[in-house]
Amino acid sequence: MAIRAYKVRNFLRKPQNIILLVLAIILSYLVLVPFVYILADTFSVHPSEIMRIPGSRVGEFTLYHWSKIFASADSYTTFVQPLAHSLVCALGSCVVAIGVGGIFAWLAIRTDMKWKKIMTTLFIMPYIMPSWTLALAWNNFFKNSLVGGVPGIFTAITGISTPNWFAYGPFPIIMVTGLHYAPFAYILIGGILRNMDSNLEEAAIVMKTSKFRMMFRITIPLVTPAVLSTFILVFSSGMSSFGTPQFLGLPVKYYVLTTQMYRNLNGTNPGLGYAIALILIAISLAIMGINQIILGTRKSYTTVSGKSSNFSLMKLKKLRMPISVFMLVFVFIITIVPLVSFAIESLVTVPGDYSLENMSFRYWTDSDLALTEGVLVNATVWRAIRNSVLLAVLCSVGAGTVGCLAGYAIVRRWGAKLSTFVNNLTFIPYLIPSMAFSAIYLSMFAKSHGPIPALYGTFALLIIIGTVKYLPMASRSGVNSMFQISAQIEEAAVVMGVPWWKRMTQILIPIQKASIVSGYLLPFTSCMRELDLFVLLYTPSSILLTTVLFQYNSKGFDQYANAITLIIILLVVLMNALVNKLTGASISKGVGG
Amino acid sequence: MPKIVLKGITKRFGKSVAVDNLDLTIEDGAFVTLLGPSGCGKTTTLRMIAGLETPTEGEIYIGDNLVFSSEKGVDVSADKRNIGFLFQNYALWPHMTVRKNITFGLENLKWSKSDINKRLDELLVQMHIEEYADRYPSELSGGQQQRVAIARTLASKPALLLMDEPLSNLDAKLRLDMRAELKKLHAETGSTFVYVTHDQQEAMSLSTKVCLLKNGLLQQYSAPLEIYGRPANVFTADFVGSPSINLVDMDVSGTSGDGIGLKNGSCSIVFHPEKNVDIPAGRKVVIGIRPEMIRISDSGRAHAVIDSSLPYGMETVLCLKLGDIQLLVVVFGSIDFPKGSRESIEMTGNGICLFDKESGELLSVGSAEFV
Repeated sequence: MAIRAYKVRNFLRKPQNIILLVLAIILSYLVLVPFVYILADTFSVHPSEIMRIPGSRVGEFTLYHWSKIFASADSYTTFVQPLAHSLVCALGSCVVAIGVGGIFAWLAIRTDMKWKKIMTTLFIMPYIMPSWTLALAWNNFFKNSLVGGVPGIFTAITGISTPNWFAYGPFPIIMVTGLHYAPFAYILIGGILRNMDSNLEEAAIVMKTSKFRMMFRITIPLVTPAVLSTFILVFSSGMSSFGTPQFLGLPVKYYVLTTQMYRNLNGTNPGLGYAIALILIAISLAIMGINQIILGTRKSYTTVSGKSSNFSLMKLKKLRMPISVFMLVFVFIITIVPLVSFAIESLVTVPGDYSLENMSFRYWTDSDLALTEGVLVNATVWRAIRNSVLLAVLCSVGAGTVGCLAGYAIVRRWGAKLSTFVNNLTFIPYLIPSMAFSAIYLSMFAKSHGPIPALYGTFALLIIIGTVKYLPMASRSGVNSMFQISAQIEEAAVVMGVPWWKRMTQILIPIQKASIVSGYLLPFTSCMRELDLFVLLYTPSSILLTTVLFQYNSKGFDQYANAITLIIILLVVLMNALVNKLTGASISKGVGG
Repeated sequence: MPKIVLKGITKRFGKSVAVDNLDLTIEDGAFVTLLGPSGCGKTTTLRMIAGLETPTEGEIYIGDNLVFSSEKGVDVSADKRNIGFLFQNYALWPHMTVRKNITFGLENLKWSKSDINKRLDELLVQMHIEEYADRYPSELSGGQQQRVAIARTLASKPALLLMDEPLSNLDAKLRLDMRAELKKLHAETGSTFVYVTHDQQEAMSLSTKVCLLKNGLLQQYSAPLEIYGRPANVFTADFVGSPSINLVDMDVSGTSGDGIGLKNGSCSIVFHPEKNVDIPAGRKVVIGIRPEMIRISDSGRAHAVIDSSLPYGMETVLCLKLGDIQLLVVVFGSIDFPKGSRESIEMTGNGICLFDKESGELLSVGSAEFV
């Protein structure tokens, strides 16, 4: 018994063990328990479903939802077809994101491409913008009159009417989602490219390996872990993305799993929605399992040792100018042009008419409009700005701090069961579609459970769900950055008796400052533009910018909606710049620069 | 001052055994090297002494203090063991200047400002890095980084200094310089040094005692010249010495007087053990002859053909063919031999080793002659 006590004491003496233990308990409650709730919901009769299920009572056990999905005449339209659509869109988005992001990362970090600074700054923009605002921009440009309404800017300028496949459905969904996540691929792949020991490549050069061969046999295998992480992140995001398919798919009745789920959750068949949510989660979990198996065997390359080395940039030679110009134009099109479209759309008085006489600032500044006050003189908008910023700051501080600590503890105890468990726990929120997650929290926190009060309607609930939901980004970046620091760097301080908090704050965090700050920035920007997660949980007192936008958009207040989109983007960019100024680090600097 | 005692130390990683029931006593003020091929458990042993790795079983004492015991549940953390640790990759903090790298630990120990500055100046001078004080590690060469790492480790004047292959990242010339400096440092500080290396020359030239490990098992723990002259077994004999020892399989053909007759094909040898040993005829043995113990001499009774000759200036390494047997021979002086020439050879000195073929253990040391 005495020895057991010693063992416990020795175990608890290591801070990484305490962190893991605390996280295991808290995250189990916030991440695993919701699964129990969601599962129970798929087997019980909901109030709105009494008419559908003859002779049933509310709360009763039923197999109705599952049999409807897998074993009914409607299976194809309720489940199989949306599933196929989701898979096509998610995989397509992965290809676009990894292709565009990977090529850009390589050009920006390993070659002598021109105007890197401006391009890397701009390239992050799509990620800062909500993915559905890029969809909104696509719509601003390419909407056609076939579905009804006025045609977009493209048609107004060229006179060419866009075909349906180009304006709506899988093609624009894939492009918009892929471009939205391309910065993510750039950040992850770029991080490896930047920190990779150039000896590895130089070793191949001396062996007279051709540039081409080196790229495929050395560089690409080394970035494979980053590509795989990008793949699972984009794939699961694509599978659970709601705004973009809702916006670009609905006009041509192109349903994916999430829009199908929303239709059911918001309609008269919530149990079916929960069942689809569970299936979505199961798919994501399977992907993560596969990823773990692949990465498990070759999980990490320590790419940064205590020794420093530099790499030389590859000369693009004759292609330098054409490639640079092409990339600049491309980056311009995916970043600045959408913003211009929001600005223009917020100015036009009568939709569809893009002449200068038809433009004014009335939807920004006039307080005596028929619909509601202009966005800059609107009390609701101002309250929403205050709430959004506060929520984003609190969620990013929460997620960033927990993620950094989790990354440290997970890496220090890498391979141990507890570490693997917490590692998976921190990642699971990514796999739960936002809409489903908030629906579950809604029912979980509606009543008090033991010491945990009923949190529904409070701002605290928004903070909790935001922190948990964005933890994966922060913990990924925490794990990656800690893996890059050789354990000896910390041990050198351990033997000198430097206490743990000092090792963290004065050695580990400063060394990986850039990527740890990005662990704070990613949740911040995500939170600023989040709609799906909060749309079920906000109350008038906790209204957010995105929910205001959602209200205006669904009411058809197009000019207001475009104006608020611009405000959201502006706020995020400003915040980024501010943090950049304060800490000297940013998302883009973490990798590009 | 500390004497380190390891009792029955075992370390398992899953099913593989890194260190197997190791007993070791490191005397106060000693310079002990843990030597062995890669994967032999030497680094693990060092890290267990430091407290960076937890043994599966056993006890470790530093000085009079029990710092680890699996049975009593004692595990004193690394910082309380009063050690310095020099890492293979230096592990300098890349975001701190040389000055800060050295003083960071001292500030943490709550040294006074003036003491810290005094110690810093001492170390900068001692390690010849005065001019780099305000540079960052990435702005230094490998050798300079190593000096900074040593200065950082020495800063708090640890009584026990643990070093994990500290010279393996340096070039040959620098390595030689640093070896001499480390030995000087050992004399100056009077601290106990424990040093991990896979380079037998480094172990031989630096240490007061060498601990030779193989697959987690202790092979021999003796003074360097003892290891060289009286290797405990074939592995030790082969691992230490460059060019390596000649190991030739022999059959014991019989005993006559104090001599033991050995035979391998056309090669016959009589071995005279320094003390009487009983080795029955028919036993299979291995004779170990250091290259410098074979001499080219007109009076030699065996005749060998020169297969290759490598003159280094100070000495020449010859590869000889004696029938089917290949022998390495060192001839001192600036001298070269044409390939294919025939030379007479003989064995000199009392350092010829005889090992049991089956167990590999040393049977006896003595002199020998060709017949």
